[in-house]
Amino acid sequence: MIASTGTHTAPIEVLLVEDSPGDVRLTREALKDAKVHISLHVAFDGVEAMAFLERAGKHVHAPRPDLILLDLNLPRKDGREVLKEIKESSSLKSIPVVILTTSSSEADVLQSYHLHANCYISKPVDLEGFLKVVQSIDNFWLSVVKLPRDPRS
Amino acid sequence: MQPIRTMQFGFGAALAVLIVVGAVAYRSVIASNESTRWTEHTHEVLEHITSLRSAMANVESGYRDFAFSGDETFLQSARVNTQRLHEELSTSRALTTDNPVQQNRIAILAGLLQQTVLDGEQLHAVTGSMEREERRLLTERSTDEERRFRQAKHVVILACAAGFLMAVIAGWMLQRNLSARERAEAKYRGLLEAAPDAMVVVNQFGRIVLLNLQAEKRFGYRSNELVGQHVKNLIPEGFAERLIADGTRSAVEALAQQIGMGIELQGRRKDGSDFPIEIMLSPLQSPEGILVTAAIRDISVRKSAEEYLVKTVGELKRSNDDLGHFAYVASHDLQEPLRMVSSYTQLLAKRYQGRLDADADEFIAYAVDGSNRMQQLIRDLLAYSRAGTGEMEFREISSELALHKALVNLQSAIQESCAVVTYDSLPAVTTDDTQLSQVFQNLIANAIKYRSVEVPRIHVSATADAGRERVFSVRDNGLGIDPKYFDRIFVLFQRLHGREQFAGTGIGLAICKKILERLGGRIWVESQPEKGSIFHFALPGAAAK
Repeated sequence: MIASTGTHTAPIEVLLVEDSPGDVRLTREALKDAKVHISLHVAFDGVEAMAFLERAGKHVHAPRPDLILLDLNLPRKDGREVLKEIKESSSLKSIPVVILTTSSSEADVLQSYHLHANCYISKPVDLEGFLKVVQSIDNFWLSVVKLPRDPRS
Repeated sequence: MQPIRTMQFGFGAALAVLIVVGAVAYRSVIASNESTRWTEHTHEVLEHITSLRSAMANVESGYRDFAFSGDETFLQSARVNTQRLHEELSTSRALTTDNPVQQNRIAILAGLLQQTVLDGEQLHAVTGSMEREERRLLTERSTDEERRFRQAKHVVILACAAGFLMAVIAGWMLQRNLSARERAEAKYRGLLEAAPDAMVVVNQFGRIVLLNLQAEKRFGYRSNELVGQHVKNLIPEGFAERLIADGTRSAVEALAQQIGMGIELQGRRKDGSDFPIEIMLSPLQSPEGILVTAAIRDISVRKSAEEYLVKTVGELKRSNDDLGHFAYVASHDLQEPLRMVSSYTQLLAKRYQGRLDADADEFIAYAVDGSNRMQQLIRDLLAYSRAGTGEMEFREISSELALHKALVNLQSAIQESCAVVTYDSLPAVTTDDTQLSQVFQNLIANAIKYRSVEVPRIHVSATADAGRERVFSVRDNGLGIDPKYFDRIFVLFQRLHGREQFAGTGIGLAICKKILERLGGRIWVESQPEKGSIFHFALPGAAAK
């Protein structure tokens, strides 16, 4: 069960928590050229993200994501709260969380790492930069890194 | 002070002279009286002696006539006169106790009178010598009396003259002294009146001794209404307490602590209204003890100006903060939608370049360029609004290290342009090193960017700390600037060149200016077109802190 191998048949499940449809689409576009087969799920706010992770309501059949891409500034439930809840949950804390946000404030960076974010990335303002970042995520987290297996599966 | 001493001494001397003269006159009069008494006494004694002698003659003639005529009446008369004779004799004895010679004669006389046969010759001789003695005494005493009287008269006249003279001298001195005091007081009053401030002179008990017209006017009193009043009527609090000694210090000490300081207090007008004042105290030695001259200035205008200033500064700061916040929020929040515009126009360009028609390509190109520029502007606006706003850390740093940091950041630009950056040994300064680095970086980046055809040569130097400020200079051999643009170049987004010539939004110098203003310094330029530029900036010197 090595996720980084291209031979692995099951797609890699990625949860993107992002309120801007433009960014969602850009992320999708960037991941189109990904080396691995990625199944991208999108939650538009923090509440929905938690519902997806806890398989609540309509997300009862939601898969457990292998990687979470989390924006910090979200409606209803803030990304910081989502991060905190994930990292405090014994079943979810093993999922790597990549903070992908427009904020480049030192305070946000520091706080995110304090809350055990696995990495922090500021969204580049230009398209090329953004594409590169997403491809790097793909390359690093989904190809290089060995992700933990779902303890339940 | 000196005239008072002299006057006291003068009066003392006059008094002493008068006492002496009075005593002498008194003694003279007493002596004269005594003399008169003695003269009168002598007259009395003489009278009795005469009477004694007449009694004696009567006794003699009484007996003689009786012997002639045998008439009993004569005998009777002789006996009566004998009796008188004895009486006169004892009176004379009592009167002449002071004179042993006369007493002796009286004793002889008494002895003669005891004899059965009276010796008329001898009796006459003794009484005669007694009378002569008294007459001699009378002459002597009269002369003495006259002399003493004359003497007493002279002494009294002299005393009167001395008294008069003293009175005249004292009067003259007093007059002279008073006029000196009046003159001094007039001078002092003139001085008070000439002062622009309200002046009040207060004694150490807090009573007003003297004040000028301005003081009366300022506090709404009529002329001389205030003299003698307590200063608390004018300044209810904080002034009298400063004058009057308490347990631990004397009035002089208490005052010494207040001298020269402007003390802000409340003054109270006659109508009870208060107004802000500032008082300056100075002590004044006077014969009545320490006096305090208080210069009182109405600071209502200054106070309201101060309040206005504080208010205005507060408003300005608030509006500035608002503006800063606005710039930050605007640039930050604008970035999000702009990122979308920019990303998708770029995506459009990437995917569809050459696949639509030429017009579409051109339109897309303009959209991409516009959004890129706008992004740059917003980034710069954000940088500008952040410049010098965060927490500044003022400490002693090496300005040379700050320059090094800037040069590291500019490494690629320096290499690309083959620029030669030199610098003198740069001093330690007390400032924020990140901000100083930023200033160096912007100035050197500009020097490289606006270079001429020559190899860019940039030199950084600093003056010695001149106390108030220390000036750094960044000199280049670049394009130079027309002096008419000197002000414009420091304004946000003001550029002297087209975008085709030089990229950039015109932010660098605006940021430098903002940073230096925050650091308490300033920035200016010295330049001629084609002759290079020298950008100077000053940081506060050691003496300015």
